[in-house]
Amino acid sequence: MKLLTHNMLTSHVKGVTKGYPLLIKATEVKMNEVEFNPQFVSRMIPKLEWSALVQAADELGQRQDLPGELVPDYEKNEDFLKKVHRLLLEVEVIEGCLQCPESGREFPISRGIPNMLLSEDEA
Amino acid sequence: VSSSSTDNDATTGDIISVTIGATVPTGFEHTAAEEVKEKIGVDARISKDRGRIYFPITTDKLFQVHLLRSVDNLFVVVEEYDNYQFKESKEETLMELQELASKLPWTNALEVWKLNRTFKKKKGYRKGGNGTKGKPKSEAAGATVADTEQQELPQATSTVENQTEESVPEAESDTQDSVEAAPRAILIKFRVTCNRAGDKHSFSSNEAARDFGGAVQEFFQWKADMTKFDIEVLLNIHNVEVVIGIALTEESLHRRNISHFGPTTLRSTLCYGMLRLCKPQPSDIILDPMCGTGAIPLEGAIEFNSSFYIAGDNYDMAVNRTVNNICHIQKRRADKGSISGLPIDTVRWDLCSLPMRTSSVDIIITDMPFGKRMGSRKKNWDLYPSCLREMARVCRPGSGKAVLLTQDKKCFSKAISRMGGLWRKLHTVWVNVGGLHAGVYLLKRTEAVFEKGNT
Repeated sequence: MKLLTHNMLTSHVKGVTKGYPLLIKATEVKMNEVEFNPQFVSRMIPKLEWSALVQAADELGQRQDLPGELVPDYEKNEDFLKKVHRLLLEVEVIEGCLQCPESGREFPISRGIPNMLLSEDEA
Repeated sequence: VSSSSTDNDATTGDIISVTIGATVPTGFEHTAAEEVKEKIGVDARISKDRGRIYFPITTDKLFQVHLLRSVDNLFVVVEEYDNYQFKESKEETLMELQELASKLPWTNALEVWKLNRTFKKKKGYRKGGNGTKGKPKSEAAGATVADTEQQELPQATSTVENQTEESVPEAESDTQDSVEAAPRAILIKFRVTCNRAGDKHSFSSNEAARDFGGAVQEFFQWKADMTKFDIEVLLNIHNVEVVIGIALTEESLHRRNISHFGPTTLRSTLCYGMLRLCKPQPSDIILDPMCGTGAIPLEGAIEFNSSFYIAGDNYDMAVNRTVNNICHIQKRRADKGSISGLPIDTVRWDLCSLPMRTSSVDIIITDMPFGKRMGSRKKNWDLYPSCLREMARVCRPGSGKAVLLTQDKKCFSKAISRMGGLWRKLHTVWVNVGGLHAGVYLLKRTEAVFEKGNT
């Protein structure tokens, strides 16, 4: 699971109103090189929940010097875009789980695939 | 009427111009023509015989045809007749076809066939994955480092000398400095495939293939072999349109990305057509909520790689196969020395309750259950409205789009019309999927805000 995907995933357990962002508990993380496309990154940033990305990076110990808030003129800052590229696309959680921040329900991640299926009474 | 070409351009390695024919998924002829214009820079002609396009190319650019993602099969045209006057009786018609064999302008087409062989992958590629030299720029199947083996055609034998209009290209080697070796007893093996459509023909496709094939065999002294052939001659007859060609692709390119099949895996050319229809933009988040083996998002991650793909399914075998297919492609890329990571992720979920933030997705593209091979018609009545609603929730209002393939057109249209104006139909492409008549619906997500409890 890449952090870009994580940024869009939310808990949908019945009754939960604050199911985002899911907490990440990773037991295995891998790096997977992906071609850098600055246009992709700069256009993606406005679609992200920045604080959720920062929190996820922290949880994985991958934050490095990522700012807590977006810097102005980031579109032209290639260094910054490369850091964001790396976090969004190259860090992969292979084993672990995602936890709903409200209900505590854990969704397992195995082979890089989060299993978000709910049981009948949770849906 | 056939034009005779001279020997000169065939044997000197000069650049020659030919017409290439391509078979494409029916319904996506225009998409394929667009791709040809974009990648080769020429205008393609769409045949009246559905599922075929034709375009001109010069031999110095021939390798480009293997970069096309919307074509299933490619062939070089030997001759085309758009108004062939068939004789009244079957005997006369077949006799004429036989006579045709020796009169056709084979030379240039055979040159192209020969040139094309140098582009092909070594046999056993799929199993061995032997590394190729250097770094190919493209991911397309077939675009590889040139095969350095010499391809030789046998010397034409005596029956050919009597022909005045055409002569068969002589044996030649690809390297400039080698001396012409004594003709080896390499026998070219061939077969003729005939496709015939129309109600006014006095003959069957088998009869035409048999008689035309017999004459081709006589003329070239090739050996007929239905299974292990070097040259496949195509005889396509569609009413009064007759096209004779030589195949440039051995096996259909349709399943190029998929090594782990499922029961209803969609061919990659159809996936590509659907993707082109929605025009993915850089940074678009593209969702396939019922991905099966991941054919559509994987094709997208390769061909339209400035977008991001999330493939999801509720079935564990499906998500596992998707991940296997992704890994297989990544490994193939790594073996070639390219940066292997693809912009795609896989999630296991229930599409009627997507664990995705509202309005977070730009495009939804999927192959919806048909109810014949998977699921059932009855289930679709419940499934379609729920999943269309959930898809509307996650899709960005105003700018979002969906491209949905389904055979259950009735159920689909009804479900859309009951959605309180969340989706608007923009365009429909009628296609053929495994013999079933299906529709690819291009929808726009309207500005209407999704509210829980509407419909």
